[in-house]
Parts: sequence; C-alpha cells; structure tokens
Amino acid sequence: MSLMQVNNVWKRFRIPHQKRSTILEHVASVLAFEDKSYEEFWALKNIQFSLAQGESLGIIGPNGSGKSTLLKLMARVMKPNKGTIKTTGSIAPILELGIGFHGDLSVTENAEVYGIILGLSRAQMKRLIDPVIQFASLEKFRDTRLKHLSSGMQIRLAFSIAMQTTADIFLVDEALAVGDMEFQQKCLTKFGEFKKEKKSIVLVSHDLNLIKNYCEKGLYLLNGETAVFGTAQDAIRRYLEDMRSGAQKTT
Amino acid sequence: MNAAFSHYLDVVAVLAKKDFKLRYRNSVLGFVWSLLNPLAYMLILTIIFSVLLHSSVPNYGAWILMALLVWRFFQVATSQSLSCILSNPSLVTKVYMPRTLIVLSSNFANLIGSTLEFVVLLPLILLLGVPLDIHILFLPVILVIEFVLVFSISLSLASLNVKYRDFSQIWEIALQLGFFVSPIVYDESLVPSNYQFLYSLNPITRLIQATRGLFLKHQLPLPSDLLVVLSITALFFVGGLVVFSILQVRFAEEL
Repeated sequence: MSLMQVNNVWKRFRIPHQKRSTILEHVASVLAFEDKSYEEFWALKNIQFSLAQGESLGIIGPNGSGKSTLLKLMARVMKPNKGTIKTTGSIAPILELGIGFHGDLSVTENAEVYGIILGLSRAQMKRLIDPVIQFASLEKFRDTRLKHLSSGMQIRLAFSIAMQTTADIFLVDEALAVGDMEFQQKCLTKFGEFKKEKKSIVLVSHDLNLIKNYCEKGLYLLNGETAVFGTAQDAIRRYLEDMRSGAQKTT
Repeated sequence: MNAAFSHYLDVVAVLAKKDFKLRYRNSVLGFVWSLLNPLAYMLILTIIFSVLLHSSVPNYGAWILMALLVWRFFQVATSQSLSCILSNPSLVTKVYMPRTLIVLSSNFANLIGSTLEFVVLLPLILLLGVPLDIHILFLPVILVIEFVLVFSISLSLASLNVKYRDFSQIWEIALQLGFFVSPIVYDESLVPSNYQFLYSLNPITRLIQATRGLFLKHQLPLPSDLLVVLSITALFFVGGLVVFSILQVRFAEEL
C-alpha cells in the first residue's frame, strides 16, 4: 500500500505579458483593446512516482526546475492542472517555518498560533509549550516579543514546533539551512527519530549529503520533467554528472 | 471529519485571538481608543442633527448610538476583512486549510471587539435616561445575524481584493454610501413611500430598527422582519461562498 501516489501530474503557470492587478487597469486595458496575451509555462510535466510507508524522498534539481511547486502540490496548497496526487496518511507541510508568526506577539503566543496552524490541538499545544521552548533553548525569552529575538532564534522556535507535529509525511523545503551547528545537530537527531518511527520525509534541498543520509528515494527534476526517479544515490549521481557536463559546456 | 472540524475551530479561535491582541496591542488603552470612535460620532451627529437641525426624534443621542453600534461592527469588520487574505500570504501558500477560516477568524476578532463595545457603552444609555429591560437579551440574536451577514460579504471582499487590489477603495466608497442609505442619522419614515420597499431590503436597515426596538421601545422585532433579514443574509451567504470558492483556486498563484 503506497502512502503517496503521484499520477501524471502537470502544473501550468500563466504569466500575463501585462500584469493587471486592479480594476482600473482591467478597465483601461479593455478600453485600449489591449490583447490579453500571456505566456504559458509548464512548471511540472508528467510527474509520476509513489512512496511507500516509511520511505523518504529527496527532491533535487537546479533552481526553477519545479521542486517547490511539486512540494506545494503535495501540500494541497495548489492544484495540478492534470493528474492526481493521492495520499493515505496525514501531511505536515513545513514549506516555510513560522507561518503566522508576528513580531508583536510573545514567544509563547507565537508558538501557540504556529502549532495550531500545523495541526496540533489547543490542548496538545498547552502540553507541548514547555518542551518546545526547551528544545529551542528559549527558556529565558518566553514572554519576549518575537521581534526582539534574533532571526536564528525565531527559526529555532519555529522548527521546534514543527518537529512536534504528528504526521505520516513531512514535507520539508530547505528548512535545515538555518540555525547554528548545535541546533542543526538536534534537528538531524529528530529526523533520525522520525525515520525510526516509520515516518516519511519529503525533502527539497541542495544539501546532497543530507539527502544521501536520510532519503532512500531520490527525484531529480530538470525543467519540470523527471530526469531520474530511483534511489537517492542514482538521482544524486546523475545530478552531479549533469552539473559537471553543464559546467564544461559553459567553460 | 469530527477531528477536522474541531481542529478548524481551534484554528479560528487562535487566529481570532491573535488578530484581537494585535488590534488592541495587548493594552487596555487600545480598547479605550476604540470606544472613543463611536462616542465621538455620537456627539458630533447629535449636535448636528438634534441641536442644529432640530430633529424630531426623541432622545437622539441614545437613538443614534444604537445605530452606530450596529453600523460600526459592519463597517469595521468588513473593511478589515478586505486584507485578511492579502496580509497572510503564508497561510494560503505554505499550508493547507480551508481559506474561509482566515476570513472567519478576522470577523470573529471584530465580533468580540464590537460586543465588548456594546457592553461597555450600555451604561451610557442608562445615563441618557433610557431604562433597560428584558428585551435586550434578544440582542445576541441580532448580533449573530449581523455576524453571518458580515461573514458573507467579507468572503466576497477578501477574495475579490486578492484579484483586484483596488477593491478596498471601492468598498470604502460603498461604505460611505451605505452609511446614508441606512437609517443611522435620520428616521426611515423620511424615505419617500415609493422607495420604502427597496429601502427596507437593506439588511442593515432592519438590524438597526430591530436594535432600536429592543432598547428604546422595548419590543421584539416582528418575525416577518427577521425573515426578510435572514433571507437576504442567506442570499449574500450563498453569493459569498460562490465568489470565494471560484477565486480561491488561484489564491496561491496570485499572492
């Protein structure tokens, strides 16, 4: 039984030649008989793969190859134009850390908002608030307004909350590229625990070592198409080969 | 399904709480400022219409305060809902939840604020010589109906404002118009009789009449009046849901 099934997914973006975002601009363009032309751009083309329970996937590829778009489709934030994504488990989307954070609220208040947005209940959040603040090493700043914390501390708070969410699939977008060494180590330990608990992680990252260490499967995207879907080693090897030959071409 | 529903309640509660706290900046003074607005309006309008223009309405101050409280909730809640999607892009583009919850929580924060305003300003009505009686217990019903109306309109406003960024300006003008097509500063009997029917379709008109009835005349609104308000609110609700569900598909790409 597969945990996530991605079937022939296509995603198109329309980029209008002239961006009209107000009613006045719309009216003006109609009066001036401007054409409503736009550029069509397929961000993802015919993506197909499936993930089994407990399997983790690393998504790699150059900038603009559709990695984040795919993650957003998995998180159901956007809908594919064609194809379907079926999931049987619960999803914890960590596409951005600290969703709903506000600088004028205190550390504990922000923690509550973010935890609940990520799917925890208010009762759970009450129980988890102390462990979360401890994990983030922010005990001294419980009632400090968030804006007075350094950005690294804010991210630490956010990540600690995100790590408390219970789900079968974690969608993570470049979230680890923050925090100091000690904190990164904590996060990696947490990732290891997830793996032991048979949770799946879908990781978008340029950190190929991270993907090698935590993902069995790898998806290498190139211009919105699947270049490789297979083991993480295979995907990474092909990606590195392509980069080298690409680098040679340009020199 | 049940678990999802209770989670949605949690989301609305926590987002509304956040909105509310930020609005009053965690201070009692913030709330005092928000009381000043209806008080100042009441004073100015009473001077203009009662003292200068000799309005025939008895106890003009209390009479206008009732309308202002109803109007203010509508005005503030709908205006603030305009930006609720735009100002929370990551709630739309980075996490999945029914986006109606974002609008709902913005409205909820305003409902709490307006209800508190009502409660704090009630003694003022006593000072103005209006005795209160059991009929005011019907006020929550009116507030709930108004809340549904506000939510329905906010659904359209918040989603249209994502597509057309100047929609907030249009709504500002509409609100100015609305202030004068509702019987806030004048009595509805002044409206010419051939326009009376059209005029009475305005749900805000009926809600103001009902509130004034409860407080100043000690009478419950007629069931037929309530029925009209409810039907119009239901129409707005369906309309709002349709507009919102069409436009929300592209939210993640427009933000």
